[in-house]
Amino acid sequence: MKKMIALSLTAVLLAAAMTGCGGSGGSSNTKTTEAAATEAATEAAAAGGNYVFLDETLGVESYAIGFRVGDEELAQTVSGAVQALVLNGTYDAIGEKYPDIKDYLCLNAEDIDESTLPEEGSGDSSYTFKHGFDLDYPPYSYLKDDGSVGGFDVELCQAVCEYLGWGYEAVPFNWDAKDMELNAGSCDCIWSGFTKEGREDDYTWGITYSNNTQGILVAADSGITSLADLEGKIVGVQTATSAYDMLEDSQADLAATFSELKVYETYTIAYNDLKAGAIDAIAIDMTAGSFLIASDGN
Amino acid sequence: MILQMKNIQKSFGELEVLKDISLEVDSGEVVSIIGPSGSGKSTLLRCATFLERVNAGEIRYMDKAAVTTNAQGEAVYVGHKELADVKRYFGLVFQQFNLFPHYSVLKNIMDAPIHVQKRNKDEVHEEAMALLKKMDLEQRANAYPCQLSGGQQQRVAIARALALKPSILFFDEPTSALDPELTGEVLKVIRQLAEEKMTMVVVTHEMPFARAVSNRVIFMDKGVIVEQGDPEEVFGNPTQERTKQFLRHYQR
Amino acid sequence: MSFSTMLAAMGEGMLRTCAIFFLTLLFSLPLGMVVMFLRRSKIRVVREVTKIYIAIMRGTPLMLQLLMWYFSPYYLFGLSIRGYRFPAIIIGFAMNYAAYFAEIFRGGIEAIPQGQYEAAEVLGYSKTQTFFKIILPQVIKTILPSVTNEVITLVKDTSLAFTLAYNEMFSLAKQIAASQTSFVPFVVAGVFYFVANYVVAFVMERIEKALDYYR
Repeated sequence: MKKMIALSLTAVLLAAAMTGCGGSGGSSNTKTTEAAATEAATEAAAAGGNYVFLDETLGVESYAIGFRVGDEELAQTVSGAVQALVLNGTYDAIGEKYPDIKDYLCLNAEDIDESTLPEEGSGDSSYTFKHGFDLDYPPYSYLKDDGSVGGFDVELCQAVCEYLGWGYEAVPFNWDAKDMELNAGSCDCIWSGFTKEGREDDYTWGITYSNNTQGILVAADSGITSLADLEGKIVGVQTATSAYDMLEDSQADLAATFSELKVYETYTIAYNDLKAGAIDAIAIDMTAGSFLIASDGN
Repeated sequence: MILQMKNIQKSFGELEVLKDISLEVDSGEVVSIIGPSGSGKSTLLRCATFLERVNAGEIRYMDKAAVTTNAQGEAVYVGHKELADVKRYFGLVFQQFNLFPHYSVLKNIMDAPIHVQKRNKDEVHEEAMALLKKMDLEQRANAYPCQLSGGQQQRVAIARALALKPSILFFDEPTSALDPELTGEVLKVIRQLAEEKMTMVVVTHEMPFARAVSNRVIFMDKGVIVEQGDPEEVFGNPTQERTKQFLRHYQR
Repeated sequence: MSFSTMLAAMGEGMLRTCAIFFLTLLFSLPLGMVVMFLRRSKIRVVREVTKIYIAIMRGTPLMLQLLMWYFSPYYLFGLSIRGYRFPAIIIGFAMNYAAYFAEIFRGGIEAIPQGQYEAAEVLGYSKTQTFFKIILPQVIKTILPSVTNEVITLVKDTSLAFTLAYNEMFSLAKQIAASQTSFVPFVVAGVFYFVANYVVAFVMERIEKALDYYR
C-alpha cells in the first residue's frame, strides 16, 4: 500500500518537475545599459516571479572570442570580419533578435577603421571554421525549441564564415571541457559568452564584442538590498561561470561573508532553489539572469 | 492403518489426473506403484504429501484427518497447525534428490530435526552419523552435495528423510535420475529398509525391484488404479489386458 | 594551486561521495528486497503497481528523479526544502537502486529450482525458515556478479548528486579543473573512481570465493 502511494506521488512529481523546469526560447524586451536588466526583472516580476537584481554589482566583464595561444592570424581575420559585419549592419541586425543582450553589444561603426578589414569572400573556400560553444548558455548559444543550435554568438559566427567564404561547423561541447576541446583541435575558438577577464594570458584573444555585468539576483521581498546584506545568506552560482570565478577571486572577501556558496551545474536548478526558498540569492551575469526571469514569467 | 486416501480427485484445469482413487497403506507394508508416464502415479504421491491440493476426497494419517470433503463435494484441508502435525508422519524422497547445495551432508540431515523438531543437537548428531553409516557414507559427512555422485546424493536424501523419524516414507521415482550403474546402491538401501519393516510407498519403473521388494503392487493408468495385489500375481498373472500390455513392454 | 591543496580540496568531496555510496547501499539493498516481494505478490494490483514503479525508476534518468525528489515537496505541497538537499539525494539514489536490486533479487529467486521449496516444505520448514535458511543463501551466491556490476555503477553514478548542487568529488574536480585550466583534477578523479571500484571488485571477489564451496 505504501508503495502505491509512493508510486502515484512519483507520477505526479514527474509532471511537476517537467513543468517546473520550464522551457527557454521566448524573452521579454530590454532597454539600455545595466539598469535595463533590473527593469526587465521588474517587468518579469509583475508577470510571474518576483525577483530583482541588486543595484550593486559584482563587476563588469567583456565577452570576446578565445583562440589557441599563438593563433594570431586567425584571431585577426575573424575579428576583422566581425568589424566588417558591424559596418554592413549584420551585427546589429542579429542583435535585434536577442533583446536580452542587444543593449550590451559594444561595437560601433564609427570606431572602426575600414582599411584594415578583410575583403568579403577573401577567405579560403575550402576551409571550415570550427565554432566551439556551450550548448546551454542562452542567449549566446543554446539549443532551440526545434532542436537546432542558435544564439547570438552562433549567428554572428555563421555570418563571419559566410562573409569570409568559409564553411561553418558547430562544435557544441561540455563547458568544463572547453580547454581540452580547444587544445585538442576539435574546435578553432571558444565563442560562447566567453569572459576575457582573468583569462588574459590563457588564450589569444579576438575582438571584444559584448560587455556584461555580474549581478546578484534576489527575491524582491527578501529584504536584501545591498551586497552587505548577503552576510550569513546562502548564495547560489553556476560552476565554471564568470560569476563563480569572481566570487572565488576578485570578490572572494564578499563570498567569505556568505553562510554558504552553493555551486550548481546549471542556473536552472539554482533558480528553482531560489523560488523554493532553499537559497537566498543567485550570483549571475545580468543578461542570463534577465533571461531566466523573463522565461519564468512566460 | 498409517495412510488412508479415499475417493481422491485431482484436475489440472480441464485435465483430470486422478479419478476417484483410493489407497490404504498398513504399517510395515511396502507398496509399489507402477504405470506409464502420465498415469497420475507421481501426482498421487504429491497429493499424499500435500505438495498438490486435491479437488475432492479424504486423506488421513494414523487416523487423523488432514483432508475431508464437504457437502458440496469440495476438499477441505485442516488448519495450518494440524496439517503441520500430520506432516510429521511422512517423509518424501524426490526423483531429483533436492538436497540443499549450500549445506554439508551432515547439515542436510541434521538441520530439520534440530530447527523444525527442536530436538537435542548431540542426540541428532549421533543419529545422523548412524544413518550415514547405514547408507555407507560416514566418510562423506562433511562433503557438499556437489562433490557426491547421484547415487550418493540420493542416499543422503533418504537419510535426511529418515532423520525426522517418519511413520511412512514415500519415494517418487528414486532412481529415474540416476545412471543405470548407480541405481543398484539406492535400491539396496530401500530393500534394507523393507527388511526393517519400514512402511514405504514407492513410485518406480524398476519392475524386478518392485516384484522382489513390495508386499503389494498397484498398476495405475489414466488416473485410475487398473489392478492391484500381490506382486507375484500382478507380474506373473495379470488379469487386466492393459496391465499385460504395459508389462509386455518391460519384458522385452 | 599546489597539488596537495588540490588533493585536500577534493578530499572533502571524496568523503561526500563515500557518504552517498554507503548510505545508498544501506537503504537500497533492504528496500530492493521489499520491492522484490511486492513484485512477486499474489495480489495482482500490488504486482502491477510495483511493475510500474520499477519501470519508472529504470526508464527515466536518475538525474531527473533526483530533481523530482528534491523539488516536489515545494512544488506539490509548498513545503520548505531548506536542508532537504542531502536527504533528497539519498532518497533518490536508494529508490532508484532499489528498483534495480529488486529485479536482480527476483532473477536470483526465480533461478532457485522448485524442488528446493518442496524439499523444505516436506521437511517441515516454515515459510520464513525456508526463505532465510534455504533460499536466500543460494540467491546471494547467484546474484553476486550482477550486484557487483550495480555497485560499481553506483560508484560512478554518485557524480549525479551535483545535479542538486551537492559538491561531491567529481563536481569539485570539474570546478577546480575549470578555474585552474588544468586537467589534473580529472586525473585525480579518475584514479579515485578506479581505486574505489578496484576495492569493490576485490571485496566482492572475496565474497564470491567464500561462497565457492558449493555449486
